[in-house]
Amino acid sequence: MEAVVVDAGSKLLKAGFAIPDQPPTVIMPTQMKCVPEDSSVDDPSLSEGITIDPIVRGFISDWDAMEDLLNHLVYTSLGWEIGNEGQILFADPLFTPKAQRERLVQLMFEKFNVSGFYATEQAVLSLYAAGRISGCTVDIGHGKIDIAPVIEGAVHHIASRRFELGGADLTKLLAVELGKSNPLVNLSIQDAEKLKEQYANCAEDELAYEKSQQSCPNEQHTLPDGQVITIGKEKYTVGEALFQPSILGLEAHGIVEQLVRCISTVSSENHRQLLESTVLCGATACMTGFESRFQKESNMSSSAIHPAVVKPPEYMPENLSQFSAWVGGAILAKVVFPQNQHLTKADYDENGPAIVHRKCF
Amino acid sequence: MYGGDEVSAIVIDLGSHTCKAGYAGEDAPKAVFPSVSSELSTISGGRHLSCVTALVEPHDGENNRFTMPICYFGGKHEILPKGTVVGSIDQMEVDDGDNLEKHSGSAPDSEKGKSKRKLYVGSQSLGFRRDNMEVLSPFKDGIVADWDIVDSIWDQAFRECLLIDPKEHPMLLAEPSSNTQQQRERAAELMFEKYKVPALFLAKNAVLTSFASGRATSLVVDCGGGSTTVAPVHDGYVLQKAVLSSPIGGEFLTDCLTKSLESKGITIKPRYSFKRKEIRPGEFQKHDIGESFPTVDLDFPNTTESYRLYCQRVISSDIKECVCRAPDTPYDEAAYSNIPMTAYELPDGQYEDCHPRDLGVHFPVASSVFYLFDMRTIPGMESYAETAASARGLPQMLAGGTASMQQLKERLEKDLLEESPQAARVKVLASGNATERRFSVWIGGSILASLGSFQQMWFSKSEYDGTKSTGLLTSRGNAPKKFSSFPFEERMLAFIVSNEWNTEGEKCFLFFPLRGLDQQLLAFAFIGKPKSFCVEALINHPSSLTFNRFLQGKQNHLLYSIFLRLSISKSPDASSKHQRTCKETDKASTDSVTGCVEA
Repeated sequence: MEAVVVDAGSKLLKAGFAIPDQPPTVIMPTQMKCVPEDSSVDDPSLSEGITIDPIVRGFISDWDAMEDLLNHLVYTSLGWEIGNEGQILFADPLFTPKAQRERLVQLMFEKFNVSGFYATEQAVLSLYAAGRISGCTVDIGHGKIDIAPVIEGAVHHIASRRFELGGADLTKLLAVELGKSNPLVNLSIQDAEKLKEQYANCAEDELAYEKSQQSCPNEQHTLPDGQVITIGKEKYTVGEALFQPSILGLEAHGIVEQLVRCISTVSSENHRQLLESTVLCGATACMTGFESRFQKESNMSSSAIHPAVVKPPEYMPENLSQFSAWVGGAILAKVVFPQNQHLTKADYDENGPAIVHRKCF
Repeated sequence: MYGGDEVSAIVIDLGSHTCKAGYAGEDAPKAVFPSVSSELSTISGGRHLSCVTALVEPHDGENNRFTMPICYFGGKHEILPKGTVVGSIDQMEVDDGDNLEKHSGSAPDSEKGKSKRKLYVGSQSLGFRRDNMEVLSPFKDGIVADWDIVDSIWDQAFRECLLIDPKEHPMLLAEPSSNTQQQRERAAELMFEKYKVPALFLAKNAVLTSFASGRATSLVVDCGGGSTTVAPVHDGYVLQKAVLSSPIGGEFLTDCLTKSLESKGITIKPRYSFKRKEIRPGEFQKHDIGESFPTVDLDFPNTTESYRLYCQRVISSDIKECVCRAPDTPYDEAAYSNIPMTAYELPDGQYEDCHPRDLGVHFPVASSVFYLFDMRTIPGMESYAETAASARGLPQMLAGGTASMQQLKERLEKDLLEESPQAARVKVLASGNATERRFSVWIGGSILASLGSFQQMWFSKSEYDGTKSTGLLTSRGNAPKKFSSFPFEERMLAFIVSNEWNTEGEKCFLFFPLRGLDQQLLAFAFIGKPKSFCVEALINHPSSLTFNRFLQGKQNHLLYSIFLRLSISKSPDASSKHQRTCKETDKASTDSVTGCVEA
C-alpha cells in the first residue's frame, strides 16, 4: 500500500496516496465547524456551529480539532482500516517548533497507530516537485509566506524568513476595500474569499498600478444572496499588497526585495544557484499576473544576480503551485519509505517522540 | 504534555556583532541575527550614535607589544591620530583624555526615562528603512551597557525565531571570557525574573570553543566582530589573568575597507538608497563593465547616520568576506601590487576591483598570542612539574567570524613558529568549515548542554530564589552554604575558616581537582605549616564524607585555586585574614591562578 502524504495548510488540507504525477486526491478545507452535540464535522454543514481553525498561520493550534480532522481524513476519505494503518508523511512549514513536531509524532503513533512516519519541510518538497534539490522557495500560503533557501536538500535555516502575511490578510484587505467602494453591500469573509480567487490581479508594474488606481473598468458581480457588487481597482490592490506591504500597513519590503535580502545572507558562492532556481508556490502565487510581475520586479531588484523563476517539468499536473508541497512529498515518500529511513513504531517506542529530530529533517 | 526524557536546552551566544541562538544538540544555531537594535529616535537632529567604533589606542595596562594598528589605505601608510574613532560620525564627543571609550556619545535614552522603548530587532526589521531610526548596540567596550536592548534581542530570539516559551527550557548563556560579577548577576536576574527560565548556566566563550573541538585544554584565539580575544583554557577553566583582548575585530576591518574604497572614489550606496529603472519596456540594461547603470537615487532625508552606516557596513562586510584574505607575509607594498584584482559587483551595479589583501589583522592577533606566552613563561611555567612540556605546546584554537578569513590559519601558524620560544610545539586548529568557525562558541555550548553529565550542573530557579537575598554568589559569614550547581568558573571550593572548622595551629588548605565535568571531587588536606591559607568557600557537596576519606588518602593533586570573587564577609577579621592569605598564596602559586602543591 502506498504511503499517505498530508500537507496541512491554513486553508486547505491536501492529502492522498503517494502517486507523484497526479494532484492529491483529497483537497478539503481545514476549517471545521463544531456541532454542539456531535463531534466536529468537516465542511460547513447545515447546522449552525462555531468555526474552528485547527491550523493557524501554518502551525497546528487546536490539537483536538486536528485529531478529528485527521481521523476523518485517514479513515473516511482515504480508506485506511483501523488496525492496518500505513505510513504517513507530513509536510511542515518552516520554523516549526520542536515541541509541535514531537506532539504530532506522538499523536500519530499513539492515537492512529501508524506504522511509519516522516516529516519534512514544505520548502524542500516544493523544490522536489520542480525537479531540483537546490534553489529558493517562495511559498505564499493562506496564513504565511515562507522564503527558504535550500542547498542540496537542506534548508538553510539561518537565512530563511517567514512572514505572518498571507492569503487571509489579502482577503481581509479586499473586503475592506470593497466595503469602502460598495457601502451598501453586506460582504462576508467567505464571499470575499471567492471574489479574491476570481478577480484578484497583479498590475504589470508600479506605474500600471498607479494608473489603475485612478481609473479602471468596473465589473459587476452577483453574490450568491443576490446582491450586486462592483469591483474595479480593488482587484489590483490585492495583488499589489504583496509587492508593497505598506498597503496592508506593514513596515516591510516587497516580496522580491525580501527574497534578495534573504539570499544575500547566504555565503556568496551559492547565490547564483539559489537565485536562478526560484520556485514560487502556494495558492496565492497563482494569482493572475503574479508571476510576470515577480519576474519584472526581480529584474529591477538591488542585486547583481536576478532571481529567475523556474518552471515545473511538463509531466507535472497543471496548477502545480497550489499543491507542489504535496507532490514533492509524494516524490519523497517513494524514496524514504522503501529505504526504511522513516520513523518506525519500534523507534518511537524505544526512544520517544524526540527521535523525530534525529531521523527526520 | 509529554515530558521528554531529553532536556531540550537553549544555547544563546550574544556576540558583539551577531546573536546566535538555537536548541542544544543541534549542529548550528537556528536564529542568527545582528545583535543591534534600532529605535525610533524622537530627538530631531540630535545626537547620533554609532554602532561600533573601533579603538585605535591599545588598552591601558598592557604592554606595548601592541603597535598602533596601521591602516593601509590605497597603499599609503596612514597612522590614525590618537583618539580617532574609526567609523565615527559627526556630532560625537570624543573624549581626548579617555581613550578607552568604545562608544562615543553618552548613553542613549536617559531622557526618555523608563518608558517603554520601541526597539526593532532582527534582520527583517532592521532591513527596512524608517525615518529617524537609530541603530544601537548594547555593548560598550565589549561588555553590556544597555540591558533593554539585550532584553529585546533575547525576546526576538525566543518569540520570533525559535518560537519557544522560555519557561520550559533551561538556558545556556555564553559570556565573554573576562566578564564581571555584576554582568553575570544582571544576566541571571534578567533571565530568571523576566523570562522565568527553569535553569541557567553561564559558560565562558573560550571554554565552549575548546569543547567544540573536543579538547579541555587549549589556547583559544577568538576573532570576533567587535574584538579579538586570546584566552588559555586549561582543563575546562579559563586562566583569567592571561586573557588578552584586542579591539581589532571584524567590524574594524570592515571600516578600514570602507575607507579604503572611498579613498579610491567608490562610494558604497546602501540598498535602500537607489532603485533600478527600466530603460525600455521589456529590455533591461546589460551588465557591461564600465557602463553606468541606470539607477535612480532615492533620497530619504530623515534617515539617520547610524542607519546609513549600518547598511553600508552590511555591504562592506560582504565584500570583505568574498575578497579579503590574510597575506602570506607582512605588509609589503611591492609584493602586493602583483596580486590580481578581483571584481566585485556592488548592488547598484558598480563594479569595483579590489586587492585581496589583509588589513593588518595579523599584527594584533599574533602579537597578542606571543604576549600571552611571555606572561605565562615568567611566573607560571617553571613551577609546573611534569605538565610543563604539554602546557607550553598548547594547541591554539581558532574561532570566530573573522577567523573564517581565508588563509588566516596558515599565516598564524607561520608567524607563531617564527616568534615562539624554543621547544614549543605550535599547532593551530581551526575547523575547515567556515560555518563551524563562525559558530564554534555556540556549537560548544550545544555540545555541553546535551551532555548527560552536565545536567546536574544547571543553576536552577529555586536556587536563585534562595540565594537572591544574600547575593548571588556570596556566602554567608558562618556556615558554608551548599550550592549544588553553579556557573562553571565559579564552582570554586573555598570555605571560611569559621569556628567549626578551625582548630588551633592547623588551618585547612582546601583544593580540589576539576578534571572536566565528570569528576567533582572535593578534597581537603591539612597542612601543618605555620603559613595559613584561608580561602573562602562555597561548598559544593556534602563535605564531611569526602573530607574524611581524603584525609586517609592524602593524595597529590594539582591545585586550582581560583580566586574569582570573595564573599563579603560579615566579620572584619575574616576579611583581613583573607587579604593576608591572598598575598601569601600569590607568592606561592603562580600569578594566583594555577600552581602545584604537594600535600
